[in-house]
Amino acid sequence: MPKRKDVSPLKRRLLRELVRENVDLKDNRLPRSLRPGAHRLRTTLRVLALVLFPAVLLGSTQLITSLQTPPPPAPPAGVAVPARPAPPDRRFGAPEPIHADVLPLAVHRVAIDPGHGGTDFGAHIPQGLREKDLTLDISNRLARLLAADGFETVLTRKGDQHLSLAERGARASQERADVFVSIHVNWIEDRGSRGVETYYLGSTLDPFLNRLAAEENRGSGYSMAEMRRLLDRIYADVRQESSRKLASTVQSSLYHSLREVNPVLEDRGVKAAPFIVLLTTEMPAILAEVSCLSNDQEAEMLAKPLYRQFIAEALAAGVRSYADAVAGTSPAEKGS
Amino acid sequence: MSDKREVLHVGIDLGTSRSSISASNGQRHVIESYVGWPLDMVARKVLKKPVLIGRDALENRTMLDLHRPLEQGLIKEGSEKDEAAVRELLWHLLSLVGVKREERGGTRVHAVVGVPAEALRVNKQHVRKALSGAVESLMIVSEPFAVAYGMEALVHSMIIDLGAGTTDFCVMNGRLPTEEDQRTLPQAGDWIDDQLLRHVNTRHPQASVSIHMVRAWKEEGSFVGQTKTPVLVTAPVNGKPTELDITNEMRQACEGILPPIVESMLDLLSKVQPDYQERVRNNVVVSGGTGLIRGLGPRLEQELQAVGGGKVRVVKDPVFVGSDGGLAIALDAPEDDWERLSS
Ligand SMILES: Nc1ncnc2c1ncn2[C@@H]1O[C@H](COP(=O)(O)OP(=O)(O)OP(=O)(O)O)[C@@H](O)[C@H]1O
Ligand SMILES: [Mg+2]
Ligand SMILES: [Zn+2]
Repeated sequence: MPKRKDVSPLKRRLLRELVRENVDLKDNRLPRSLRPGAHRLRTTLRVLALVLFPAVLLGSTQLITSLQTPPPPAPPAGVAVPARPAPPDRRFGAPEPIHADVLPLAVHRVAIDPGHGGTDFGAHIPQGLREKDLTLDISNRLARLLAADGFETVLTRKGDQHLSLAERGARASQERADVFVSIHVNWIEDRGSRGVETYYLGSTLDPFLNRLAAEENRGSGYSMAEMRRLLDRIYADVRQESSRKLASTVQSSLYHSLREVNPVLEDRGVKAAPFIVLLTTEMPAILAEVSCLSNDQEAEMLAKPLYRQFIAEALAAGVRSYADAVAGTSPAEKGS
Repeated sequence: MSDKREVLHVGIDLGTSRSSISASNGQRHVIESYVGWPLDMVARKVLKKPVLIGRDALENRTMLDLHRPLEQGLIKEGSEKDEAAVRELLWHLLSLVGVKREERGGTRVHAVVGVPAEALRVNKQHVRKALSGAVESLMIVSEPFAVAYGMEALVHSMIIDLGAGTTDFCVMNGRLPTEEDQRTLPQAGDWIDDQLLRHVNTRHPQASVSIHMVRAWKEEGSFVGQTKTPVLVTAPVNGKPTELDITNEMRQACEGILPPIVESMLDLLSKVQPDYQERVRNNVVVSGGTGLIRGLGPRLEQELQAVGGGKVRVVKDPVFVGSDGGLAIALDAPEDDWERLSS
């Protein structure tokens, strides 16, 4: 098949654009259409926000409220679960960039997402251990522990059924959960490896998003319609920051408490990644890889209910200290 | 820059369920988008391969760490592993058209890879990272654009690609589609499978039915609207093969995707400049495996009546439209540009 010679002017123009876009991508540059001054910047941001955070309405209006009213006072000692935000007020406040810390997005209801299920086994080994069963077991334990602590919990699945990633996020959103914790068991090619790691929806793999954030403080004097977009965008950034905090709190709890019973455990750290299941939620969301089924010793431990209980307890402690932190009480202040 | 080694141009369609390749040497192949690594030494010994691809992987899934790396258009969770899986898929597709992995450097491959629009939008670098290294030069395009290019529907048209994981819409107006021109819905083939399984389970609770069975039934008997031939299938009931009539369940599952699809179609149309709306309405192209649902084209035309009528063309043999479109782009792109894209 020879190269075609008779390429129409239209196609030539399209190909030129396509090549330019790909060269930018290769050189890791922000696509032309998103560089400062580009007229499409705002629309693109809006679309991106919509893609990343479907049904942002709830989040935005909560934000609007919190822009106007001071944060609610810290709850009395011993109460980890402040009331849900007041019904949304639709008036707009000033479009000032806000930091995650000033947003008391209280944690009241926790969505727990047992990874995989149904025809999707997740990682599995010939001895019969399957990720989908392990995640469900750990999730149930976690739900009981959190309930005992006064949290409400929502499980994305209660039985062994297949759920699409979008459905998991949708369920959590329908139930108006405040945080989303997806539970998985890792499979690592290097089978000597045994550790825990926690992911949040984030940008470090994606310079594209980082630069979008940098663009954030440009311009003011927005119209009402643009205001909505702006708020959506701020919410987007805030959610990412909250997700990162949640991830690091949970990771630290997982690592430190599990290491007491499992001294060779590795801290594989907190990582940002564009996981779909995190993309489809509208609240701070993380995905915890709580062990490695690829490692024989880990697999042996996972087979024991007690170890799964330890994992659940470590997760619960992580969620609890995150909730305490956003509620403004340090864990130390919290009464027993 | 006067490398005289032979250049092979390829177009690749990386799909959720199927991936295809079309090459300038005339070869075309399609595989199922599964990649599996043997779970342990025993499995490796039995399977005698470090990695299995496509049907091979699916059939040996009990011994494999099985990945379908693109779910809903993104490189999904467990990203390192899925990046590796995408790379394996790509290498395998290349080997099918005669490029040997060991001999890389022998053939210079210039590849256009079509990925779901959503993947491009959300994690471009991720996609590129997973793909680079396998070929000399690489261009990533959004899948609907590749389809539009291959079908010569680049101006005043709307592409609706109904795949397994997603339904992608794209309005073509003579420029590269931007975010505003595109839309992605999660309602597609996999979604219908889930629904059908649910409906059949409710209607025939005694029958044991798997997702793979319903998918095969769907590919045989999918339809929307009226049908004269009932959809009859065989499934074990209490261990005994039994014939079941699932006509209503099939209709219900297939029609379930219509409301969101019609809504998106009309909404995108309403955003087209008024002068051109009629032309776009008369140039709707439906591609993808799920586009093969009987009665879908006429049904969409019927819905277009509400806004003045239109024409829907359904691609009859959708397997290679994406990769053929990619190949056309690869061949049309000037050689200098390919040089700029080499890594
Ligand atoms: N006759 C048919 N009727 C209905 N669905 C069908 C038919 N034939 C194939 N399909 C479905 O089409 C889907 C595969 O289509 P296609 O190959 O276009 O998807 P893909 O490109 O892999 O997915 P995506 O575009 O979402 O990444 C599967 O869900 C399959 O079950
Ligand atoms: Mg496709
Ligand atoms: Zn998993």
